[in-house]
Amino acid sequence: MPILEARSLTKTFRRPDKTSGFKGAVKHLVQRKYKNYTAVDGIDLSIEPGESVAYVGPNGAGKSTTVKLLTGILRPSEGTVRVMGRDPHTERIANAHDIGVLFGQRTQLWWDLPVEESLKLLKHMYGVSDADYKARIARFDELLDLGEFMPALARTLSLGQRMRADLACALIHAPKMVYLDEPTIGLDISVKDRLRAFLRELVDGGTTLLLTSHDLADIEEVCERIVVIDKGAVAYDGPIQQLKAHYITTKAVNLFLEGPADVDELKLKFPQYEWAAGEAPSEVTVTYESRHFTAAEVLGGLTAELAPRDLSLSEPSIEDVIRRLYAGELTK
Amino acid sequence: MADTLTPDRLTARHVGAVYRRALLAQIRAITEYPGDFWVMASAGVMWNVLQFAFLTVLFAAVPEVAGWRYHEMLMLSGLLTVAAGSTAILCDGIWSTGQMVLKGEIDYRMTRPAPVVVQVATTHIGMQGFGEVGFGLVMVAYGWIGAGLGPASLPLVLLGIVCAVVIECALITLFCAVNFWIKGPMSNFAFVMLDLQHHAMTMPLGLFPIGVKVVTMFVVPVAFVNFVPVAALSGHLAPWWVIGMPVAAAASVLAALGVYRLGLRSYDSSGH
Repeated sequence: MPILEARSLTKTFRRPDKTSGFKGAVKHLVQRKYKNYTAVDGIDLSIEPGESVAYVGPNGAGKSTTVKLLTGILRPSEGTVRVMGRDPHTERIANAHDIGVLFGQRTQLWWDLPVEESLKLLKHMYGVSDADYKARIARFDELLDLGEFMPALARTLSLGQRMRADLACALIHAPKMVYLDEPTIGLDISVKDRLRAFLRELVDGGTTLLLTSHDLADIEEVCERIVVIDKGAVAYDGPIQQLKAHYITTKAVNLFLEGPADVDELKLKFPQYEWAAGEAPSEVTVTYESRHFTAAEVLGGLTAELAPRDLSLSEPSIEDVIRRLYAGELTK
Repeated sequence: MADTLTPDRLTARHVGAVYRRALLAQIRAITEYPGDFWVMASAGVMWNVLQFAFLTVLFAAVPEVAGWRYHEMLMLSGLLTVAAGSTAILCDGIWSTGQMVLKGEIDYRMTRPAPVVVQVATTHIGMQGFGEVGFGLVMVAYGWIGAGLGPASLPLVLLGIVCAVVIECALITLFCAVNFWIKGPMSNFAFVMLDLQHHAMTMPLGLFPIGVKVVTMFVVPVAFVNFVPVAALSGHLAPWWVIGMPVAAAASVLAALGVYRLGLRSYDSSGH
């Protein structure tokens, strides 16, 4: 049975329809007009317990609105959401015990209190026992180095510290379903690495995770499934590996030759591949269709003929694939 | 030990514990800004000293206003001051409802197992409240002694104070909840109510036309904050009016919670 199920989930907002400038503002004051804007348009989503799902899309695609619908913050205009069989909006209190939420752009820490006080307030709010609280704080400290800034006021924390503290807040009650909206936004690479390792461990421990991020490294390292949305609708839903296998049809080999590479000559010699000059005179890149040639075939032929000094094999990143999905170059 | 908490619904004990802890946390946060505390608390006293001085000067010239004497008028002002000051201490955060709605700051509060209204109300403490409550109690006590009401009326005075605080908190909550629909950072309806109270409810209700009496007693029951309890204590109203105080308090609380709950259904966060 899915832990989360959304059917035909739709959210329409009413937005003021006014022309720009002072005149438009005055006109809107006396003659108010509104336009409907559909942020989420008939999304179907089903998540099984223990799954880690990346929910990605360009800015304004409806990611955050979906998360707010799934967490019960917003009421759907149409469609239904069930989290563990409950409507997260009308059964908000029961739902709150089972979910953990982090919005990377906002904090839930009490601004003028030490981090420890915020965590204690949440402990009592969720009814976490003393023993569980101590054990979880010790675990968070081990994985996120919370201890170093537990006594610090929230307003004095760095962004990385704040995010780690917020993650602890979201998980202090050991929720079964966790929603993370841009958890690594603005963080440096070392903090990102630490957070990703933490999330991976969380998923390995059986927690169900829905992650939205613009950083596709977050997605590749933490999630197995990806849902790509655009203009409020699902553009792709499936395993990340399948997305790669389905859409990544070209691979590239960088060759470093002993002498300068003559691209025109190589094009004549190997017309089945695409050739491009590299950064160095002796470097050349050959791109081939992985549906037609195996890596062994390509490498075997090239090394036998050209005897390169060095080579490296690469494939387009998932980022490229998603960029092309957004751009409408790829279809389901 | 963990608070009493059932997974599906909240218990009064749990809500009370969340409220108390959040409020105490805010008091601890106040200690971060000691300068602000003393300035604001003093400001709360100063405004009421002026009110006290005004009444003293007024009654030096006239023996009574619409049948009300100096000490009764002091109680009238004092009780309103205690109620208004208490709201600043007990639920000042509720004034941020409009801001929070605009900025999407209700989001996290919707995902926690505690009433949103409690979480919002405890996000801030108005430090002027400490001065207002202190000085308001002095005015009530001075008026009570001066009016010669005697110790037998003490339970009624205490009931009046409790009901006044509950009604005031509830009505402010109700009017701040309007910001769920009328988007804006300022809680103008609540400001209008406070203005009405400070201008009209520090005077005997008998001075005003019947419409004002009906509205302030039965529509927006601000008369039950200070006028009804003081009038019942001092004999300007029949004693049975006292029953109206807890009734008005209960009705105000139910209305406030209902409107706030409806507001949350309309909440559409920000950034979509």
